Amino acid sequence: MKGKYVLIGNSAASLAAIDWIRKHDREGSILLLNREKGVAYSRVALPYYVSGERTLDSLMIRRQPDYARLGVKLVEKADVAEIDPKGHAVALADGRSIQYEKLLIGTGSETVVPPIQGLADVPHHYLWTLEDSIGLKKATERAKRALIIGGGFIGMLAAEALRKLKTKLTIVEMAEQLMPQLLDAEGGKIFARAVAGANVDLRLGSQVESVAKKGKAITVRLKGGGAIETDVLVVAAGVRPNLQCVKNGAVKTKLGVVVDDKLRTSAPDVYAAGDVAEVRDFVDGAPAVHAIWPTAVDEGRVAGANMAGGEIAYPGSLGMNVVALFGITLAELGRFQEIKGDSVDVSGSSDSSHYRKVVIDSKGTIVGAMFLGEENGVAEMGVIHHAIKRRESWKPFVAQGIRPTASYAAMFARVNPALPRTKPAP
Amino acid sequence: MKQIVVHQEKCTACRECEMACSFEHENAFVPALSRIRVQDFYDEQFYLPMVCVHCADAPCATVCPTVAITREPSGQIQVHDDRCIGCKMCLLACPFGVMGFSPDKGVAHNCDFCEGDPQCVKFCVPQALTYEEVDTNATARQKFAAAIAKGAMLPQ
Repeated sequence: MKGKYVLIGNSAASLAAIDWIRKHDREGSILLLNREKGVAYSRVALPYYVSGERTLDSLMIRRQPDYARLGVKLVEKADVAEIDPKGHAVALADGRSIQYEKLLIGTGSETVVPPIQGLADVPHHYLWTLEDSIGLKKATERAKRALIIGGGFIGMLAAEALRKLKTKLTIVEMAEQLMPQLLDAEGGKIFARAVAGANVDLRLGSQVESVAKKGKAITVRLKGGGAIETDVLVVAAGVRPNLQCVKNGAVKTKLGVVVDDKLRTSAPDVYAAGDVAEVRDFVDGAPAVHAIWPTAVDEGRVAGANMAGGEIAYPGSLGMNVVALFGITLAELGRFQEIKGDSVDVSGSSDSSHYRKVVIDSKGTIVGAMFLGEENGVAEMGVIHHAIKRRESWKPFVAQGIRPTASYAAMFARVNPALPRTKPAP
Repeated sequence: MKQIVVHQEKCTACRECEMACSFEHENAFVPALSRIRVQDFYDEQFYLPMVCVHCADAPCATVCPTVAITREPSGQIQVHDDRCIGCKMCLLACPFGVMGFSPDKGVAHNCDFCEGDPQCVKFCVPQALTYEEVDTNATARQKFAAAIAKGAMLPQ
C-alpha cells in the first residue's frame, strides 16, 4: 500500500490535518491508519456515554461517507510498529508495509499504568478508548461501589459519570489537591469541598499500595495502612504521549515527538501534531505537551497545510480547558499558576459560586486565567482567552471590566459584515 | 446571508433585546440567559449590542469535540442539542463572549435568528437592531475596523 499522505491516528489532529491538506491538494491520496476499529469518535464525549447521557452512535464524529467525500482511505486495525524515514515507509504490527511521501504522527496519548502491586491480576478499567468506556459502562451496571485511583482530569470525569449512575464513590489521589492541571490551591480547596459534600469518600494525599480480588469484591490497600472494598476499580493515573511507533529513534523525542514551528519532526517529510507532539508553549516558549482537543485541532491544521506545501508557522500551544463537575464549571487558560514576578487579579469569593484569577506577567501582559463557578462565567474567559492570544495588557480590563476593548471591537467589526453601515461615533 | 445588523449609534442600552431573547428561548425574563448582550460603557455613553456574528472560520465550531456546532447551508452557525455534551469549550473559544449556555438544557446556545423572526429586532425600540441581507464588502469592513482600532469609537 502507499499514499501521498499517510496519517497515523484517527482523532482530532489527523482529522483537522485532512481538512487542511484538502484545502491545498484536492487530488493527492490520503491513507488514515487507525489502530482501533471503526470511524472516529469523540474521546471527550466518552464519560457522557458511560453516564448514559449519550448514545454510542452520537459519539461518532465522522461517518464513512465523510472519509469518502474527502478522498480518505481509512485503514482499520492498523497498529504501526515502526517508522522508517529513510525508506519513507511505516511497518504495521501485522507485517504490512505502507509507503508515504508525507507522514503525520498523530498517535495521541496512552494511559499510564501505575506501579501498584496486584493490579495485573485484578479487573480494572481505564477511561481512555471507546473500548474502555464500553467495558466501564458494563461493569458499573451491576456495581454499587466504585473506587477511582487518581483525582486528575480523567479521574474526575469518571467520578462525574459514575456519580450520575448513583454509584458510591471513593477517590484516592496522591497529591493534596484535586485537578492540579486545572486549579490552583485555592480553587482546589473550593472544589474538594464540593466533591466531599456530594457524599464522595475523598482520600487526598493517599497512595494505593496494592489491590487484590476476594470473591466478587476488590480490596484496595493504601500506603500507611487502611483498606477499602469496592466493586469496580477505575485507574486514572494520567496519560503520556504514545511514542510506541518511534521507539526505534526514527525521530527525536523528549517529552513527546519534538517538532519545530512548522510541526516538522527531526526526520524529513515526517510531521507530528496533537497529544504526541512536543511544541512550544504560547506563553513562555518552553517545550510543552498539551494533551487537549483544541491544541490537537490547531496543530493538525498547521501540519496538514505544511504537508501539502504550505508554509504556516504555529504560534505555540496555549493550554486551555473547561469542564463541569459536581455542578461547578472549572476553566483554565495559559499560565494560571503564577510564577515569580507575576501579579494576580483575583475576584469573587471562596465559595463555589464564582472565583476567578487572572495572572499578569511583569510587563503587564495577561498570561493566564482560572475560573471556577457558574456556567456563563466561561464566556468571559473566552474574551480573556483571545486577549492572551493577542498578548494584550490587563490594564484596560481593570478599568472597563471584561468587555470589548478597542481591538476586541475591531475584531467584531472584521467578522460582522453588517457593521460598516454604521458610522463611527464622533 | 441575512444577519442581525447592529446600528451601534442608535443603541440606548435599554436591554429590551435581552428580555425578548431570553423570553423567546428560555421562557423567562433573565438577561443572563439572553443570546444577545449589550456591552455598556456608561461613563463614555457607549453601548454595543453583542450577538453571534456567525464567523467565517468560527472558533466555536473548530474547537467543538463532538461536532455539535456546524455551519448550515444558510451560513448560520448552529448548535445541535442532541450532540452537545455541555463541555463549554465553545464558550472558552468565542472571542466575543457571545456563546451562551442554558443550565436547564445543559447545552450551549448562540443566536439562531428565532427561525427567521428575531425577537430582539422586533422589540428594539430605537431600532438599533435590524435583520437584513448584509453587504459583505471586505474593504468596507476593514476600513471600519481600522477606524475602531484607532480609537475612534472606543476610549482606551
